[in-house]
Amino acid sequence: MTTSDDQTTTGDDSRGDSSETDEERPDGVAIGSNFKEERLGDMKDWTIIKRLWRFMRPYRVTFLFCLLLLPVISGLELLQPHLLQIAIDNYITPGELEGIGLVIGAFGGAIVMRAGIQFLQHYLMQRAGQNALVDLRQELFEHVQDRPLGFFHDTPVGRLMARMTTDVKSLQNALSSGIITMAGDLIMLTGIVVILLYKSWRLALVSFTVLPFLIAITAFFRHYLREAFREVRTKVARLYAHLQESITGMEIIQLFVREHVSADEYRDINEEYRDANLRSIRYDAMLYAIVEAIGSITIGAIIWYGSGQVLDGLITLGVLVAFIEYMKKFFVPIRDLAEKYNQLQSAIASGERIFQLLDNEQKVPEVDSPAPLPERPFRIEFNNVWFAYNDDEWVLRDVDFEMAPGERVALVGHTGAGKSTIINLLMRFYDVDRGEILVNGTDIREFDLQAYRSTFAVVLQDVFLFEGTIRENITLRDDTIDEETLHRAAEAVHVDELVERYEGGWEHGVEERGANLSSGEKQLVSFARALVHQPEVLVLDEATASVDADTEALLQDAVETLLSQQTSLVIAHRLSTIESSDRILVLDDGEIIERGTHGELIELGGHYETLHELQYATSSETSEPKVAE
Amino acid sequence: MTHDDSSDEGPLSLDVPLEERRRKMRSYFWRYKWWFLLGAVFLVLTNLQKFTIPVYIGYAVELMQQAAEGESELELLRANLVWAAIAVVLLAIGGAIARILSRITIFNPGRYIEFDIRNELYEKLADLTPAFYDPAPTGDLTSRVTNDVKSVRVFYALTYLHVINTAVAYAIGIWRMAQVDLQLTLMCLLPYPFLLGGILWLGQALFYQTKVVQSQLSEISTKIQENLSGVSMVKAYAIQDREIDLFSDLNEEFFEEKMHYAVLQGGLQALVGIVAAVGTFILLVVGSSQVVGGELSLGAFVEFNGYVVALAFPTISMGWIFSIWHRGRAAFDRIVEILAREPEIEDPDPEDQLDLPPLESGRSLGRVEMDDVTFGYDDETILENIDLEIPAGSTVAFVGKTGSGKSTLVELLTRLYDPDEGEVRIDGTPIERLPVRQLRSELGFVPQEPLLFSMTVRQNIRFGLDALDYDDTVERQAPTTPLIQPGPDAPRELSQEERIEQAVDVAGLRPDIDSFSDGLETIVGERGVTLSGGQKQRVTLARALLVDPRILILDDALSSVDTQTEQVILDHLDYIMRDRTSIILTHRFNALDRVDCIYVLDEGRIVQTGTHDELIEAGGVYEEMYRRQELEEDLDT
Repeated sequence: MTTSDDQTTTGDDSRGDSSETDEERPDGVAIGSNFKEERLGDMKDWTIIKRLWRFMRPYRVTFLFCLLLLPVISGLELLQPHLLQIAIDNYITPGELEGIGLVIGAFGGAIVMRAGIQFLQHYLMQRAGQNALVDLRQELFEHVQDRPLGFFHDTPVGRLMARMTTDVKSLQNALSSGIITMAGDLIMLTGIVVILLYKSWRLALVSFTVLPFLIAITAFFRHYLREAFREVRTKVARLYAHLQESITGMEIIQLFVREHVSADEYRDINEEYRDANLRSIRYDAMLYAIVEAIGSITIGAIIWYGSGQVLDGLITLGVLVAFIEYMKKFFVPIRDLAEKYNQLQSAIASGERIFQLLDNEQKVPEVDSPAPLPERPFRIEFNNVWFAYNDDEWVLRDVDFEMAPGERVALVGHTGAGKSTIINLLMRFYDVDRGEILVNGTDIREFDLQAYRSTFAVVLQDVFLFEGTIRENITLRDDTIDEETLHRAAEAVHVDELVERYEGGWEHGVEERGANLSSGEKQLVSFARALVHQPEVLVLDEATASVDADTEALLQDAVETLLSQQTSLVIAHRLSTIESSDRILVLDDGEIIERGTHGELIELGGHYETLHELQYATSSETSEPKVAE
Repeated sequence: MTHDDSSDEGPLSLDVPLEERRRKMRSYFWRYKWWFLLGAVFLVLTNLQKFTIPVYIGYAVELMQQAAEGESELELLRANLVWAAIAVVLLAIGGAIARILSRITIFNPGRYIEFDIRNELYEKLADLTPAFYDPAPTGDLTSRVTNDVKSVRVFYALTYLHVINTAVAYAIGIWRMAQVDLQLTLMCLLPYPFLLGGILWLGQALFYQTKVVQSQLSEISTKIQENLSGVSMVKAYAIQDREIDLFSDLNEEFFEEKMHYAVLQGGLQALVGIVAAVGTFILLVVGSSQVVGGELSLGAFVEFNGYVVALAFPTISMGWIFSIWHRGRAAFDRIVEILAREPEIEDPDPEDQLDLPPLESGRSLGRVEMDDVTFGYDDETILENIDLEIPAGSTVAFVGKTGSGKSTLVELLTRLYDPDEGEVRIDGTPIERLPVRQLRSELGFVPQEPLLFSMTVRQNIRFGLDALDYDDTVERQAPTTPLIQPGPDAPRELSQEERIEQAVDVAGLRPDIDSFSDGLETIVGERGVTLSGGQKQRVTLARALLVDPRILILDDALSSVDTQTEQVILDHLDYIMRDRTSIILTHRFNALDRVDCIYVLDEGRIVQTGTHDELIEAGGVYEEMYRRQELEEDLDT
């Protein structure tokens, strides 16, 4: 017969693999990423599992079918030693070959069927699990889309990314194979125990006497191993923290000629890390080898006790051989269970974090039956609007103004004066705390949010371009925009000139965040984007980034075209933009302190005049001859 | 992110010949050859044990059959069976020892290699200059020194373990089997080449499909990232629905690739099941008639079964080799791209080497001269024909807008970069003829971004002393001069502890330190106290002053410090730097009336030079900037 090894080794060496590769997870221990991600523990495991089940539910038929296949797979595998026993006892030992073909055929059939069904089960289970994950991922994405802008300001992008990628990934194993293999392992174990007890309860009990030892020794070594791994994790965190910091601060290290001292420090941590690993290798090797040895010792026990039973005629030789085979299959699931359990634990932790995100119900409140969008053109009124991002820190105080159709209103003021907040409120990124904003007499909170927003076009200071073509970046992948509209818009803001220069024209590739475009080009593209969407109201936050004189002239002209086509609200930085506005609102500390045309305000000689002088009078006599006005 | 291709193009890629890469790869292996060799010996022992246990099982079966046929004395048989059982137990124990040792002797050198590579990488990184770091994406760099090193370690340890183990297992297994029955051996081994081929093929297919799945996954991540960063735009244009559709498409594509992966993985699992049982099946087909025909004993039959099943695992383990192998080699190539890099800034040849005149008290030092210095990155000129001379012991300022080149100017002085043309001299010595580290040990640099390390405040302050105290390759000794003008009876030489206390006072840190419960032993940074911008700046100032620099460079270094504190600090500097040169880069004009000379930079050139009053008098860029700042201050109040 065989040695103890084969089956146990199959699993155990692969565990050797995982212990060699898994105990450190650089992505998890990189500086700053290993805190705040612990479980908060206020959600019960069971609750999380139940909530996860909601995602599995649509695929429950497949799932249940896979569960039903498990006993079949175990059965086919456990049939094999039994068939070997029959072959030995009924045919080989008596020297009777007739009929053995059937047994051998059954053996072969069991192998093939097991392989086939195993494949089927794996595939179907993956299908169900991955489908559930697709749904989960989709739901997360859609859920996040629904959150108001404030949510994104409070939640770091990195954390949201981690929820939607890393945590979903860690659920992957649990949903698509973890649960089912755990069930499979349990079925296998039960099957073996039942079969052995049935075949010979005495020999079975003798074989199982090693179990307490196995459990005790495993627990003993696992304890040390866990300690060792914990130490490895601490060390690797230190190692990577030092490394990360050195990379960012290398210039300082070099300027203070501390390279050697730092390298020595690093070497010391590296050595501690290595030694912690060597310790874990030692415990791991012992655990692995001793589990193996116990398997072999069990075989020794079976030979010792079982042979007596055979000689006494209590069991047949075939039963003894089968026993050895069964015991070899016994150790794999025991070990796998522990591992799967750990996997399940981390999946549950990820699940909890995901559900916390899904439980965030922050939303821009919407009315049940929205008012129809008003007839164009729009008359916009801010009536005594107050607003604070944080309690009681008023960012806008009693802001009151009106925009007539076709009017161009410029907002002017210091950073932090509240200009962007006015835009945020108008766009309903946030809702007012006091007062109201009306469009043609209707409170904007009465409208359908998406429909309302789509009547605006917003050009923000920090132009966001995504990886794709120039065309996509302008149309935002809206297929209903026809070529003519696109070309007309492009022409109006000089984007056609860019497109002509680009290789590939309209299909010219834009890199992530528009990295391959200059800041002037990016602005022009964002102007075209606004125009092509034919807004009723245009909102522009002028960029301050300096560009060369030619581009500046181009931009200035484009801005003029952009603003002249409809009602517009602009946070203005260009003198020309301000001057040509119908009205200027000067904001200071959340209040409108001055209002009027450029000429009126200069005349007034107040805050605006100082601002104006600061921004334009000293910087150059080159650009604006109108300054003298 | 992980990446598996050595063909990555990017700022970090470097062309290292294949032969060189492989030679380097082998060199690590040879370094620990005795460990690996010992590991191979223990693997042989492990496998000998593994393939000996079936002998005793077969023997036991043989004995039992004899009993059934009544051929031998029962008592003797029982005794022999007990011996067989004991032999199995002893083999198990011996095997366990060999197995423990084989794993230790193979996994340990993997860790040693990892240790070595990490250290070498660190030392290399410490030699490389901003010219290397600036274009290098930090993520890529970090991934190379973490994930790639790990892949390389796994490569050495696991490929060796599995390849040697499989080879040894096959050799011993076949030898044993042939001793039982050669013909049967050949029959039973027949399917193994095919199974092995199938497993290798699936392993390879899985490796490539993993890459496809990963890249699909990273597309999903990119989409999420893009959506989250562009959230204002998404909301403003109300295009959520379109975003959701796009995401859904990516999600579906990922699903398809994942299912393709599942097919391969399921295939491998099925194959593993077949490998584990096929040997027994063939044995039943061929062997049972041999036993009945008397050509083979039942014991030999059972023994043989042990051998074929024992070959299963070594066969299956070959399924992992492909990916470990590929990943390891690609990772190693990426590591070599860093290790093979030559630093841009080099020490002069020993025969060309010069020294700086030694620092003595009472002697003014730190004269800086630049002759026609021009510098640029790529094709962009940053500094053009800079000529200047800063007299020893003076305090000067450089002012200019962001991008005027003033930071670059002082970086040339520290040799973080070398000028494209022209020469920089300190106290008459061209700095390119000074050993780089000697030069830097004479400078005190307070950077614009106050960067501190996650150590105690004290360690941060004495950061620059460490090399002077502990590093034998740095010639300069740690200074002992006081930082505060000593009274007539006070000692002229102080211990570093006393100097640190003085540095705390000079930098205006005393009230801050007193407010920390652990004082100077307070840990800074993520795991400790978060310091304010002003506090950090003052720590970096103390750090620079403590080394008693020949030239002190303050790169806009007091911007977060309030004006009053700034005045106090500057008063102290007057004493500390009385015989030394101070260079101040600033946006703020309030302290400029106390400097000896101001250089105004604009677009890489010095456009004005003079004292504050002279420059105001003269009008021009400086005066304009000054007025502007006044205006801003008016507006703020």
